[in-house]
Amino acid sequence: MSELFELLHFEFMRDALLVGLVVATVCAVLSCFLVLKGWSLMGDAVSHAVLPGIVLAYIAGIPVAIGAFFAGLFCAVSTGFIKQNSRVKEDTVMGVVFTGLFAFGLVLFSQTNSDMHLDHILIGNILGITTSQFWQALGLGGFVLLVTLILRRDLLLICFDPAQARVMALPEKFLTYLLLSLLSLAIVASLQAVGIILVVAMLVTPGSIAHLWTDRFDRMVLIAVASSTGSTVAGIFISYHLDADPGACIVLTQASVFLWSLLFAPKYGILRQGRKSEA
Amino acid sequence: MSELIQHLLTPLQYDYMLRAIWVSALVGGTCGFLSSFVTLKGWSLMGDALSHAVVPGVAIAYILGLPFALGAFIAGLLAAGTMAFVKTKSRIREDATIGVVFTSFFALGLLLISLNRTSVDLKTILYGNILGIADIDIKQVVAISAVTLIVLVLKWKDLMLFCFDANQARTLGLRTEALHIVLLSLLAATAVAALQAVGACLVVAMLVTPGATAYLLTDRFGRMLWISSAMGVFSSIVGAYASYYLNGSTGGCIVTLQTLIFLAAFIFAPKHGIIASKRRAGATLKSES
Repeated sequence: MSELFELLHFEFMRDALLVGLVVATVCAVLSCFLVLKGWSLMGDAVSHAVLPGIVLAYIAGIPVAIGAFFAGLFCAVSTGFIKQNSRVKEDTVMGVVFTGLFAFGLVLFSQTNSDMHLDHILIGNILGITTSQFWQALGLGGFVLLVTLILRRDLLLICFDPAQARVMALPEKFLTYLLLSLLSLAIVASLQAVGIILVVAMLVTPGSIAHLWTDRFDRMVLIAVASSTGSTVAGIFISYHLDADPGACIVLTQASVFLWSLLFAPKYGILRQGRKSEA
Repeated sequence: MSELIQHLLTPLQYDYMLRAIWVSALVGGTCGFLSSFVTLKGWSLMGDALSHAVVPGVAIAYILGLPFALGAFIAGLLAAGTMAFVKTKSRIREDATIGVVFTSFFALGLLLISLNRTSVDLKTILYGNILGIADIDIKQVVAISAVTLIVLVLKWKDLMLFCFDANQARTLGLRTEALHIVLLSLLAATAVAALQAVGACLVVAMLVTPGATAYLLTDRFGRMLWISSAMGVFSSIVGAYASYYLNGSTGGCIVTLQTLIFLAAFIFAPKHGIIASKRRAGATLKSES
């Protein structure tokens, strides 16, 4: 037993677990909104689009989080603009815009002499987190969580029933952009932990898991957070003992929880549904 | 003057540059051809998903010493099958299903790579490696492109009908399920080829941007196919060539160029560009008043 927990003796492991927990919680809460609104691709797009922002911020000498945030927002806004002013479908526009930004980021990066590791941006480096990154993840994560929880009813209405939200005179545009900004910030906070490519999993899988378990939003958030944090801790433990990539282990643990829910969730699991129709 | 020409011809003196240029042109043309169908069908997310989902297949193939295209192709089809299964069997929306499945596949690939660092190079998968591509990999890319192009040329009318309106195609007696699988297989196969050229993150651009650009420039599908293929070839040649001077990231150069061409079409396209539609809106207002 003590062997299993020996990793807690290392400070970098304790840091990794703490950052992992914060990131998992924030992403899980947002993922409930994204899954219901059908914004999974948006999470994918914004996460890739932050790359040029990171590189430009590095060149300009400002905190990379600021650059990443504005690049993510720029991706969302320009997608909306191009979609409104052309006949190309939204998902196609999103594909064009985010890959364009990502490619631009790659070219910029190859022109910069920096001590940044591109691999760390793409697939994360939770075990080598620095003190400033640690506090940044905690601060940003806490902020996003706070705003989301305070405004959860308004945000929920925007996702579920935009017409009703308009009737109630909610500032629809403002709330949509707020949700986008929160998404960008959450991605920035998570980059260090899981990287650009796998942050999509953190933003989609927990909400999908919870959606298989319940119809009530409050419960959905709790289930999403529980499955996400549980998978993160388990994933970090597994990666330590297998000596494997931690981001991959976290996402695969989540995927197994999803698979298990898909089969056995009491209400919407495949096997339970089958039994119900037999009876 | 002659110095400038000398300078511009330098990249062409290297074998590896010439090879990179013609292989990317081939991949770009094939992807460009297919991208017209992908944009029409609204499968952009699918292209993105498949390009990430093939990674565990590539990893396993390298570990076992098999051709990477085989492993990648099987992994891609497996992912597509899983997505279809989860979508029909659960209440999860399609976009979320795709997100869950492709990230799981990618994570599996990453796990395998992190456990076998010696046999697989993560950088090749993430950014592509067209400048250092091995002969055996070139053969696979050529084979994939040839098969894809032959199938597309032979079946493009059926596939077009299927992409425009699947119901209509069914009424006309086409086997839509078979066409669906054909298109999905072609997508998986080209994603594998493009992975070599531009890396996992940018494959989707090769499969979407040329089609989207062509869609802004013409209303006729036959012409759209020509434009998107030509754009794929052109941007790949120029992008690969320019990457010599920019000292790196061939994939980044190719896709940045494609995006710039798309933006130019978005603004200046004769009929569907933003300037043309603003002018048209102004004209209607005038004629009404």
